[in-house]
Amino acid sequence: MKHRVALWSWLAAVVATTLVHAPMVLGAALVLALLASGRGRVRLLWRATRMVAPVLLLLSAGYGMLAWWQGRPVVDYLVLLNLRVVLLALLTAWAVRDIDLDRALAPYPVARRWFAIVRSQVTVFRRLATEYRAAVLSRSTVPPTLRQRYRAGAALGLAALDKAVYNSEALTQGMRSRGALDD
Amino acid sequence: MHIPDGLISPQTYLPALALAAPLWVMAARSVRARMGDEMLPRLAVFTALAFLLSTLMLPLPGGTSGHLVGVGLLALVFGPWIAFLAYTLVLLLQALVVGAGGITSLPVNALALGFVGGWCTWGLYRLLRGWGETMAVAVATWLGVMTAALLLALVLGLQPVIAHGPDGTPLFFPFGPAVTLPALLVPHAFIAAGEAALTVLVFRHARRRRWVETAT
Repeated sequence: MKHRVALWSWLAAVVATTLVHAPMVLGAALVLALLASGRGRVRLLWRATRMVAPVLLLLSAGYGMLAWWQGRPVVDYLVLLNLRVVLLALLTAWAVRDIDLDRALAPYPVARRWFAIVRSQVTVFRRLATEYRAAVLSRSTVPPTLRQRYRAGAALGLAALDKAVYNSEALTQGMRSRGALDD
Repeated sequence: MHIPDGLISPQTYLPALALAAPLWVMAARSVRARMGDEMLPRLAVFTALAFLLSTLMLPLPGGTSGHLVGVGLLALVFGPWIAFLAYTLVLLLQALVVGAGGITSLPVNALALGFVGGWCTWGLYRLLRGWGETMAVAVATWLGVMTAALLLALVLGLQPVIAHGPDGTPLFFPFGPAVTLPALLVPHAFIAAGEAALTVLVFRHARRRRWVETAT
């Protein structure tokens, strides 16, 4: 229940943030969100800022130069854009950290199942890729050329795909035999 | 290449949501009608693959990011409706698990990448099959990615016109199409070439393994 309420609250907050165009309000909301996010708030802000920093830097620098060249005011818009995007990123980073999607989606079994299946496959894929890469490295005495890297990458990618499909088929059969796919 | 939160206006994402919602319902019906025990694990794996491909991001000057998409592969293997729904799930996972992309921009991203990108790749592949499978897959994938990039560039480029203050100051994305079109299309011409090569490789493998569903 707590996680479901948090999920819907996050959605409402994100939509509300896009409806506000006053930098003061956005700034206050950013401070409030930061205070309410509890322990680890500095790390959360750092994580959120790091995520949007490349886009914000590019946009701010581009707009700043253009507005300066055209003699237009620049500060108001840059404050608005940066506050809004950072606030949205902070809200999302907070949601990612604190909302357990599995619990939040409990009333929606189909959505929950799909999330679980795809997330498990992402984990399997990552693990397979790491294992295969480590296996190749352990068998290579000299650094591979770019061509060799591409060829090995393609071969390993396809092998990992085969293994992932095999794992996924086994998982699906397991879920089917336990009645998890019956609805 | 998807748009993050905070760069597109409610005047854009709310109509996009109204357009995407019935399409998601239609796609869900298509998935339900075709889903079987053989297709489910493959779809899960290919969706996970698309997720992983789209997490390798490169920021682009247009205010968005460049990365492989994977929706063309989904469309060629499972058909465009399933690809649309699967790619929406990829975008949702990115927003909810990784914190990349965004939830307000989800309808726009899903429509441009999942729907238009998927249908474009699938339709062009069927149209160009006479050229040989490899060429048809490569060209269809390249054009599918470029069409999606073109659409996103236009959506972003229209933001200063759609949402601005009384003095004309933009409220969301600040640059017009003169900036967004080259900023997105030029790098994506190269990204799409990489995606086309990867799609050819995986699609041929999927064919050999008989994973390719009869696309409808």
